[in-house]
Amino acid sequence: MLQPGLIQLLTASDLADLRIDAIPKLQVGFRPGSFFSSFRSQDGEAKLTFIPQQILLNKDHELFEDGDIHRHLYLQNLSTCPAHDSPTARQCEFRCYISGCSQVFSTVEDYEHHYNTLHRHVCSSCQRSLPSARLLDIHIQEWHDSLFSILAERQDMYQCLVEGCGSKFRTREQRKDHVIKIHKYPSDFMFDKVKRIKNIKIAKNNMLQKGTSMEVSMSVSEPEGVCEVLSDQPEEEEYMEINHSLEPGILDPASNPINTVELSTDHDTAPILSVTIQPTTNQQRPQHNRERHSYRVPRTVCFGQGSVQGFRGHGRRI
Amino acid sequence: MWRLNAVRHKAGRQGSDLEEFKFKRREHEKELRRARKDSQLVSKRLLLNDDEEEDGTMDTLASDQVLGPCITTTVRDDDSSQQPSREAHQLLIEQPNSIAILVTNLCGPNPQCRLEAARCLHELSHSPHSEVDSLRLRQATPYLITFLSGQSPKFTELCLYTLGNMCPDSENVRDMLLAQGIIPALNNCIQIHRTNLAVVEAVGFTLSQLISANYVTERIIPAVLASGLIPRLLSVLTPDSQFGLGPVIECAWCLHYLACSNVDNGALVAQGTLLHCTSLLVTLGVAVAKGSIEEGIELLIWPLLRCVGNLLLSGPLGALQPQLNDSRLLAALCAFPQAFLQTHPALARESVWVLNNLTDSSVFCSALFYLNLVPALIQLLPFSHGINIMVLRVLGNIAHQGREYCLHLAQAGLLPALCATLKMADTEVVTFSLEVLGQLMASDPQLAEEFVKQSGLPVLEAIQYSNQETIRLRATHLLEHHLLPHCPVRTMP
Repeated sequence: MLQPGLIQLLTASDLADLRIDAIPKLQVGFRPGSFFSSFRSQDGEAKLTFIPQQILLNKDHELFEDGDIHRHLYLQNLSTCPAHDSPTARQCEFRCYISGCSQVFSTVEDYEHHYNTLHRHVCSSCQRSLPSARLLDIHIQEWHDSLFSILAERQDMYQCLVEGCGSKFRTREQRKDHVIKIHKYPSDFMFDKVKRIKNIKIAKNNMLQKGTSMEVSMSVSEPEGVCEVLSDQPEEEEYMEINHSLEPGILDPASNPINTVELSTDHDTAPILSVTIQPTTNQQRPQHNRERHSYRVPRTVCFGQGSVQGFRGHGRRI
Repeated sequence: MWRLNAVRHKAGRQGSDLEEFKFKRREHEKELRRARKDSQLVSKRLLLNDDEEEDGTMDTLASDQVLGPCITTTVRDDDSSQQPSREAHQLLIEQPNSIAILVTNLCGPNPQCRLEAARCLHELSHSPHSEVDSLRLRQATPYLITFLSGQSPKFTELCLYTLGNMCPDSENVRDMLLAQGIIPALNNCIQIHRTNLAVVEAVGFTLSQLISANYVTERIIPAVLASGLIPRLLSVLTPDSQFGLGPVIECAWCLHYLACSNVDNGALVAQGTLLHCTSLLVTLGVAVAKGSIEEGIELLIWPLLRCVGNLLLSGPLGALQPQLNDSRLLAALCAFPQAFLQTHPALARESVWVLNNLTDSSVFCSALFYLNLVPALIQLLPFSHGINIMVLRVLGNIAHQGREYCLHLAQAGLLPALCATLKMADTEVVTFSLEVLGQLMASDPQLAEEFVKQSGLPVLEAIQYSNQETIRLRATHLLEHHLLPHCPVRTMP
């Protein structure tokens, strides 16, 4: 229970001499105050506000509650009990801070797995999470770049999905054939109509969090409103409303009429290998009708000065 | 501790009722918590009769007695409930002049009758029934107070516990007791009976009841501070291994109530309170380190921590340093959380609170490094119940001292620990973590690099998308001011 170092400090007999005033004081090179004041003047307003503060607690303070209860149980002769019922220390839980994603995890590893699966390489326009930076780039290019469809009429723009291949094709179908024939991808790979089975598997992996339900419906249903979350939420500063819901239907980006609001012309295919992340609202279905056409230009512009486009993946290219 | 022994004895006998006992205890605890929220947390103690203890046949309170020609004997309950029968006490109270008669016997020539009368009054003072309130017993109080300066320990003990039970009842009662001279009487009593630890415990209890009530700061506490009781309480602070911790516990709680009222903590310190309390804490820390954790020791550690924690604000730490010169105090304050984390996490938290009040000075921060105590604190960061927040405060205090302190903190492994706390569910933890991180990175750019190496960047970036403004702003601030060169920000045109 107690670390050996501590035990030694407290039990060594010759330590009666360890007076505080005999301990050398750590010298500081320069005063910390100067640093903080310079930051404050830059911002015009202090963002970091901590200063050391001694705390006085009066007898009724809530921090004293457990101790007081223990004391009074003792006074009332109720404090001995073979098995303790008193509260034990809990390890803190971890939470995903992405706005709208309110999942909680009991270990760091669970949280990191969740984050790496669902929040990396997320398309800021349609909230889809792609498995890699490259696929994210391809997705954005093919779905959210207004120039793409124009250029695609005249030249080969559809890149092969396999890294290092470099081939480009005039149509999606050609790319798909290429990938199947040359790179031996299975024909039911998630190019176009996304198969449920594949999605379920991936989603199941994603959903191995504590306490989440795993209801996955097997029917091909209407896709949920992927993008409506953006127009609905009032939090303008966050361009990334990545909400999580593990309700049925999230797995299916297939046959996605939402794509009609996107800027590319080719609408009958789904983004590649993407997992759609749904808003955590209870009214999935009624909503998407309303918002389907209220989608607008991808909010990859103008979300404040200097904010980090972390989810474009460029920051991690280093 | 003979009182705890009595309870254990009882629990053993009622083996089959153990579950019921635990259930009742849980319910009782909930009631106590509710009472505390209403500032109505009071307790009364009942002194078990020695004869009854030896017999082992009696759990209940009423005793057979003949007090005089006019009072019938009270009824003795034979059932196992601890509550005295309503009838017994009501009967007594409703008799005309019943209290007067008790008082007569109390002052009468017959020692046995005196004892019996005192016993009776004591039980009435412990009665939970509302008809028996202290105001009705007030005829007896001047006598009870006078007898505190008497010589008979058993009798004095009864008087003390009776008065102690009456103290929390109302402000009127306390004013009355104050006017009748209870404080000088207590002072006398503890002086006369200083070798009788049972009486000392009773004095401590009574005083604690008096000063822990509401609205006592104006007159009662100043009177106590001026009375000369403090040095006597302090002299009790050496646990007697045979008698047990009872007296020390009561005196320690008295000192806590005095310190937290903040009426004149300078006077407390001047009379040596800080010195005695810290040295007892060191002794207890040594005992904990040796593994000899006596039952009930936390009941003693708790008030001592609180007393020391509050007294640290009584003046600049530099001035208090002579009383805090034993560096083992820091070791003890780090040992208590480790030892009690699972059984009493609130105690762990209060221990770290004392450290927070100590680390407002570079002397103690240096000592923490010198004694290599910081890793032990960092290991407390995963724990909730407010523990990690308090630890972050301490670490923030240390970081605030300057660059070298920040570097030492990083050497002790703080940065990876912060990467974990930044992901925690409690927003306050994340806020404090960002503050500490900010101080570290502001003090030296190499710490910012180190943070990036620990994969801290994505964590901060994730926080930027939180819907909690406090942490969003801080995370953005840190990214922009300290981590900019590491993270190419693409701003769209």
